[in-house]
Parts: sequence; structure tokens; C-alpha cells
Amino acid sequence: MTLVARSAKAPEDDRSPSEPLGTFGRYAGPATLILSSLAEGAKHGYALTKDIEAFAGVRLAPGTLYEALSRLEGQGLIEALDSHDRRRPYQLTAVGAAALRAHLAAQRRVADLGLRRLARSWGTA
Amino acid sequence: MSEASEDLARRAERLLRWYPKDWRSRYGDEFTELLTAEICERPRSLRRSADVAWSGLTARLTNAGLTGHAIEPGDQVRASLASLGCALGVFLAFGIAIWSQLTIGWQWSEPDTSATYAAMILMSGMMLLFLILSVLSAIPIACCVVERIVRRRSQGLVRPSLLFVAGAAFLIIGSRHFGNGWPGTGGHAWAQQGLVPGGVAAFTWASTLSVTSYWAHPGALASFPTGELLWMALSPVAMVCLVVGAAKTVRRVDLPPRVLRYEACLARFATYGMIAFLAGSYVWVIAGDPGPKDLFHTGAIDIAGLVAMSAALAVAHRAVQRARHGGLALIQR
Repeated sequence: MTLVARSAKAPEDDRSPSEPLGTFGRYAGPATLILSSLAEGAKHGYALTKDIEAFAGVRLAPGTLYEALSRLEGQGLIEALDSHDRRRPYQLTAVGAAALRAHLAAQRRVADLGLRRLARSWGTA
Repeated sequence: MSEASEDLARRAERLLRWYPKDWRSRYGDEFTELLTAEICERPRSLRRSADVAWSGLTARLTNAGLTGHAIEPGDQVRASLASLGCALGVFLAFGIAIWSQLTIGWQWSEPDTSATYAAMILMSGMMLLFLILSVLSAIPIACCVVERIVRRRSQGLVRPSLLFVAGAAFLIIGSRHFGNGWPGTGGHAWAQQGLVPGGVAAFTWASTLSVTSYWAHPGALASFPTGELLWMALSPVAMVCLVVGAAKTVRRVDLPPRVLRYEACLARFATYGMIAFLAGSYVWVIAGDPGPKDLFHTGAIDIAGLVAMSAALAVAHRAVQRARHGGLALIQR
């Protein structure tokens, strides 16, 4: 509870640089999906949409996808590769891999805690 | 290329127009490819169109330094200051129109309500503040621009600077010409019959002659002299040139970090001035009285002006927040 209250009050400008996705606002979710997709290898926009739809059941709209891509690229979490046609592939950078690992570990801690509390109060399904 | 694929490309290009030029030159090709594939798969999608429109507007706001999206601190301050300049331009166009209408009225008779009286004192004080802030902010930028141009490192500064100078010159010369034709000055620009000299009142009145509800009454407008009509049509163009020229200059000139912080600090005072000026305008509209000979009456154009000024203040406030954020990041470097 304390953790939630503190993070809710944290001003926009005081976000820790160790949480690069913290500055993404409503694009944090799409950014996580994109990084998770790129963890497998380089992909261009359409391939990203298809892969994310397959593993997460979410179809990212083109505007949202590219807004998240441009922010990820701006923060150095992904980089564009050279391309011979108009479809430019992107790949994860070392900084991006570390950021994704930290972000997913934090999400896993929350998920584990939530599941433990559910099991304690509501029993296992 | 077949007709169907041409149509697809056309639709994708149309959606791409929501984005700013810089964004299009970086992501345009690949985004068009993705859109074409999406349209092929789902020919009609309102959600897709709305998403592209929203993201395009977000990219434009980011480009204008008005979103929380982290860009390079120097760019952030420059973009935010340019947006503040545009918002201040809109604010002053309507603000000066309201203020000059009241100062002209005061040349003939004092207001008979304390609300209008207090509003006028407050608004006049803020006009003086805007004038001082404009000079203080323009000096370092002008020095920097001149230095760059002299050293032939102008980086595209000449055209926006000329645009600014041309707009300002046209407005000053035109306002002097049409202000001189107004009888309230008594033939002397500094004749003090009201709160401010008659020449100042006439000059500001002439500079915002285009901000009028006469546009909604073409019959009455037709009785105006041709020269005045031309001035009413061309002066807004000059205002746009002045504001756009200033904004583009600020965005392009490579100001040192301490100058950027100084400008961000002045910008904060400018928003305080806007808040006080707007408060004065609201006091006049809400609590004021038409006064003697209906000299201080409010009209539909004044209400429209207040709405536009409120919107401009909201944009300016956001721009100053982002400029301050960029300024802090510059200090931390």
C-alpha cells in the first residue's frame, strides 16, 4: 500500500533513470510488448504487430506502435537497422535488454505477490 | 502500380499528414508501409484512423515541446519557448484589442465603476510588464542571431529573422498610419487625457483593428474606406509573420544553456502577467458597467477574446512547465 501511494505521488520529473519505461505514461504497456517481441530478434513494424497479436492477444494500432517505437528509439532502448526496402527493422540494444529485464522482474514481483495473497484469502482455483 | 494499390498508398499518405514534417521524414516510409499492410488487411477501421490522428497530434505536441515525452533538454526549452511565444501572440492579439478599446474609452471619460477602474489599472500594469519582458527576452536572442549571421553560421536563421522583422515593420508602420487618423489623440501622440497617452491608445487600437465583430456584419463593413479594409485583412497576416518568425528563430538559434534558463525564467513571469491580465479582463466583463456614453460596454467579440485568451494561457502554462523541466535538466548536466 505504501509502495503504491509513494509511486502515485512521485512527480513526473523525479523518476529514476533505472526505470526508463517510467517516463512512457500510457505507452508503457505497448513499449513492454514491443521490447518483449524484439527480445526474440529484429522485426519491422508489421511483423511486430503480428507477433504481439500472437503472444499477447493485443493488436497494437499503427499510431500507438510507432509512438512507442519512436520513444524507445529516443531513449536508446532499441535501434533501427539498415534496410533495402521501405520496411525498417528494429532490434533491442543492450540498454533495452537490461531495461526489459528489470521491468519484467518488477512486474513478476507484483504478480507473485498478488497470486500469493489471492491464494491466502480466496484459496487456489 | 494498379489502381487498387494506388488507392491504398493514397489513403496511407493521407493518414500520414497528421504527423509533423520531422517525424514524417524519419518514419514516413516505414509507417506508410505498415499502414498500407493494415489497410489491405482491414480496409475500414475507425479505431485505426482515430489512433493515427491521436498519435499524430501527440507527435505534433511533442514537437512543440508541450508533452512529457523526454527530448534533449536544450531542444525542449527552445520548443517550449517557441510554443509560449505563439500562445502569447494569440493572447496579446485579443488582449490588446480589449485593452485598447478601454483606453480609447478613457480618453473621453473615466469609467464610473470601481470594477472597470481596477481592471484597467491591472491590465495596463500587465501591458507594461509584457513590454519590459519582451525587450528583456529579445535582447540576448537578437544578439545571438546577429552574431551567428555576422559569423556566417546562421543555420537557417536569416529567413525567420526577416519574416519577423517584416511582420513587425508592417504592423508598426500601419498602426502608426491608421492610429494617426484617429481624432482622440488631439493631434499629439503623447497627449495625456486618459490612463495612457492618446497616441499609445490609438496605436494599439489600430494594430488590432482586425479583431472586431464587424466581420459578422458585411453590410456595415462595406461602408469602411478601402484602405482600412485592406489594413484589417493584412494586419493579421503580419501578426502571423511576426509570431511565426519569432518562434522559428527561437527554435533554430543555438542559445547557450544559461540564456535558455534566463528565457525560461522570463517565460514564467510572462504567464503570471497573462493570469493577472486575464483576471482584469474577466472583472471588466463580469462586474463592469457600460459606463458613460456606453464607452466601456462589452460585446460578443470580447467574450470570444476571453475564451481565446484562456485557451492561450492554458497552452502557455504547459509550455512554461516543460521549459522549466528542460531548464532543470540543463542545470543537472
